[in-house]
Amino acid sequence: MILIPCPHCGPRNASEFAWKGEHRPRPDPARASPAEWRSYLYHRANPCGWTTEVWFHRAGCRRYVTVERHTLTNEVRRAVPAGGER
Amino acid sequence: MPEALSPLARSAVRPPGPTQVMGGWEVSTRVSTSSLWLADVSPLAKVLVRAEPGAGVAARLGVGHGRARRRADGVLVVGSGPGEWLLVGPPGSASLLAGEVEVERGEGFASVVDLTHGRALLRLTGPTAPMVLAKLCPVDLSDRVSPNLVAFRSFLANLATDVVRDDLDGSRSYLLHCERPSGQYLYDVLIDAGAEWGIEPTGVFAPPAKET
Ligand SMILES: [Zn+2]
Repeated sequence: MILIPCPHCGPRNASEFAWKGEHRPRPDPARASPAEWRSYLYHRANPCGWTTEVWFHRAGCRRYVTVERHTLTNEVRRAVPAGGER
Repeated sequence: MPEALSPLARSAVRPPGPTQVMGGWEVSTRVSTSSLWLADVSPLAKVLVRAEPGAGVAARLGVGHGRARRRADGVLVVGSGPGEWLLVGPPGSASLLAGEVEVERGEGFASVVDLTHGRALLRLTGPTAPMVLAKLCPVDLSDRVSPNLVAFRSFLANLATDVVRDDLDGSRSYLLHCERPSGQYLYDVLIDAGAEWGIEPTGVFAPPAKET
């Protein structure tokens, strides 16, 4: 079981969340080259180790949460509101 | 021949027993004799408020995410999420409750929506109520973690449900709130989970909590 410490709700089972994938900074659509945009849309690092990803707490606060998770051990070391919201 | 339109409001849940029309709602008048009972209280007015968490609206509602408070007039104000509140009042009071929420200029976006007919609301009461919920819900319901007037949203039997602990005369009681189409499912699953403690359905006018 993966336990995600939701910054709004406290520790909850990952089944309450929807996994939204690796967190990637979004390039400026007006300036990004097609290659940069393609990379943003499709390329993933898929590391064996620590990764930063976005989860949506669909059965809880219904907020997005940025989570640092170890993909091998499923240990979570940090979970903060996504997008710098309050 | 088209069926005559009924002015009657019906809950999503069909509890057994005789029914009666009260305040425009068809309600069950069954009275449980068990110390553990489940009531369909969907006729209660439910108003959802969304606002910026730091705005004056939030301060005036007077409760934050995760807690609920009972106003002097009996209305329950639930902090159901970050920047989200649910007002629960007597049947028929939704427009009054919604009208009372003041949003002042410069307080950002806010919305007030009457959800009375869009949601189902159940009340589970009795000394063994936390045991029933513990079979369905992953959140710790002990007094230490979930004291009276705690509010959270989590899965209950795999259904996203708002849970508010709202004890009645010192007896454990929980308000359970979900989308209307899931109301009957939640009701059935609670009756099933509570069978081993002798759960009984009761009408909207619940019996006073019995100390056993
Ligand atoms: Zn949450």
